[in-house]
Amino acid sequence: MEQTRKLSTNENIIEVLNLKKYYRVRRSLNPLKKPFYVRAVDDVSFSIRAGRTTAIVGESGCGKTTLARCIALLTPPTAGKIIMEGEPVKMDGGSLKKFYRKVQMVFQDPDSSLDPRMRIKDIIAEPLLNLFPVANCDIPRAVTEALLSVGLPLEFANAYPSQLSGGQKQRVAIARAIVTKPKVVILDEPTSALDVSVQAQILNLLIDLQEKYNLTYLFITHNIAVAEYISDYIAVMYAGKIVEQGPTKSVMLNPKHPYTVTLLLSSPIADPLRRRILRAEIRGEVPSLIDPPKGCRFNPRCPYKQKICESEIPSLIELKQSHFVACFYSEKVSLTDSVRDNG
Amino acid sequence: MSNRSPLLEIRGLSVSYEREGKNILALDDVNLSIDSNTVVAVVGESGCGKSTLALSIIGLLPIPPAKIHSGEIHYKSVDLLRVKERERRLFRGTEIAMIFQEPLTSLNPVYRVGDQVAEAISIRKLREKVGSLQLSADGPMQKVYNTKSRLSTSRFVFPFRSRYSGEIRREVVDMLRKVRIPDPEQIVNRYPFELSGGMRQRIMIAMALSQKPSLLIADEPTTALDVTTQAQVLKLMKELMDEARTSVLLITHDLGVASEVADRVIVMYAGDVIEDTDVYKLFKEPLHPYTKGLLSCIPSGPKDIRKITPIPGSIPDMRNPPPGCKFSSRCPYVMETCRTTKPPLIQVSENHKVACFLYPK
Repeated sequence: MEQTRKLSTNENIIEVLNLKKYYRVRRSLNPLKKPFYVRAVDDVSFSIRAGRTTAIVGESGCGKTTLARCIALLTPPTAGKIIMEGEPVKMDGGSLKKFYRKVQMVFQDPDSSLDPRMRIKDIIAEPLLNLFPVANCDIPRAVTEALLSVGLPLEFANAYPSQLSGGQKQRVAIARAIVTKPKVVILDEPTSALDVSVQAQILNLLIDLQEKYNLTYLFITHNIAVAEYISDYIAVMYAGKIVEQGPTKSVMLNPKHPYTVTLLLSSPIADPLRRRILRAEIRGEVPSLIDPPKGCRFNPRCPYKQKICESEIPSLIELKQSHFVACFYSEKVSLTDSVRDNG
Repeated sequence: MSNRSPLLEIRGLSVSYEREGKNILALDDVNLSIDSNTVVAVVGESGCGKSTLALSIIGLLPIPPAKIHSGEIHYKSVDLLRVKERERRLFRGTEIAMIFQEPLTSLNPVYRVGDQVAEAISIRKLREKVGSLQLSADGPMQKVYNTKSRLSTSRFVFPFRSRYSGEIRREVVDMLRKVRIPDPEQIVNRYPFELSGGMRQRIMIAMALSQKPSLLIADEPTTALDVTTQAQVLKLMKELMDEARTSVLLITHDLGVASEVADRVIVMYAGDVIEDTDVYKLFKEPLHPYTKGLLSCIPSGPKDIRKITPIPGSIPDMRNPPPGCKFSSRCPYVMETCRTTKPPLIQVSENHKVACFLYPK
């Protein structure tokens, strides 16, 4: 608890305290057998700073999307609190409406997040109709402004999603998210389904929109290079827990958790002179979240493992200004050493 | 290098797909060659024709809707497009093996993985019994054929019980150990759905490798995998192929993957090969404006230090491709000739070919 208090300052727009999300699964038809729980998000605390981009990176199944969905109130958390501008959020109808005026979301796959039977203008207008009294806003004007600000021509207003390319659809999804002038936009892998040249367009568009509307982003991605490019703060998740978080530059240049190092070493670099994945020694696979390893969840794959790692769960400890690491031996961990060892 | 004939050589290959009465051009006069024991990456964005290229080489193009208009694919001096389908089958999956993007759809869900690897191994054994393939259009081919019919009956595998035992089973276990599957004695009895994505792709590699192919085509082999698994699989592939002296044609959209494992990189855009060079040259001094644009789209480092610059516009409509250079509408260096004439792929320096009028011969 002490540590969460340290994190909270008034520049945080959203704070997440000890959030847990367990999904129940039954493996047997026998009603007497105990159900199992997938611990998708397990006791996560972090904060999102106003006007900045916070990235959450991790591999599939690490809980990053579940965390985003919990923060967007799309799914009720099993335990824990979400605090928006100093007040805990509630999930009843009236408060939800207020919440979604401030927080909007963009999903990974625009094909499934845009209704194929609605015209683009109706898709973009829908949040306005749902969240605000109709008399208060000039809907056609808001739609036009949103379309223009995401760089789409106005002729697209009457088109259907199927007539658009993947990048254009994702621009529509972004237009729908910003049309209500929210404070926070949660972006769940917004560029993962796109080609690299389209991804570049979308990333730069997001940066421009952030400057223009002073938006706060929570950016979920599996691509560490994209996270490094777009974010100011980064949180690395592994098997339902945040293992390292802090200012992006500090985490990227000087990672202190063995998993962050592994992730960096296994991300391909477009420069053959800095090849590293063929030299890196990467062990094991992501563990099951039904029965995660005891102690530190990375311990079966960790090159720095000691006895204590198998029995105790390391907590996030602040190493230097707001750079937190959950590792007992973080002082030993270094990116440059890992490269040299393997080279 | 130059006077020895390459393992695979493609000349003037053009392929199109027919959809709704219209022809969509997928490959437009593609020329390339692959030497023995090299890793060649073909990179490009979706729709550039890289998968069509892979399917043409292995002979799995769906014809129709696909149609091969012209071209030659010479593999060890046999033109694969001229031989009969029966003969083509001798190459497919054996001399030329292939790994696909999604291993779950490539593996048969009702057979145990061990049996599927065993099937591959028993096919190789049969081929070895017949004697090494003489890859010419006459004579020895026929000899292989007669046994081939026996082969197809021996391929029936019971789904419920492992049909393989003894020597082949031991080889299967060895093979799985070689692709670093932990506890291979247990894994042979599993079904594909019981394995993780990384494990399934290892099984695919084991099956491909057990044929001792000379060429492995890997079509986005790690795209469905997480980065740490991707790193493991790429490393494994590279090591095993080096050891077996197998050439790899790696199809990928990820320039990072290409730079990490390839010896040579071929860049494709809208059905054309636009640049073909050594991996170090490509990333150090890319020549084609599209390659340059693609490289500047890749994020590396924070936005305030190196801002990425997207390529303006989008790929041309391939139902109706522009007459000149297909990149001309998006190219910052466009000239008058670019809009009317298609630039040929020319050699500009040693090991460096580019299809652009900016570079004289």
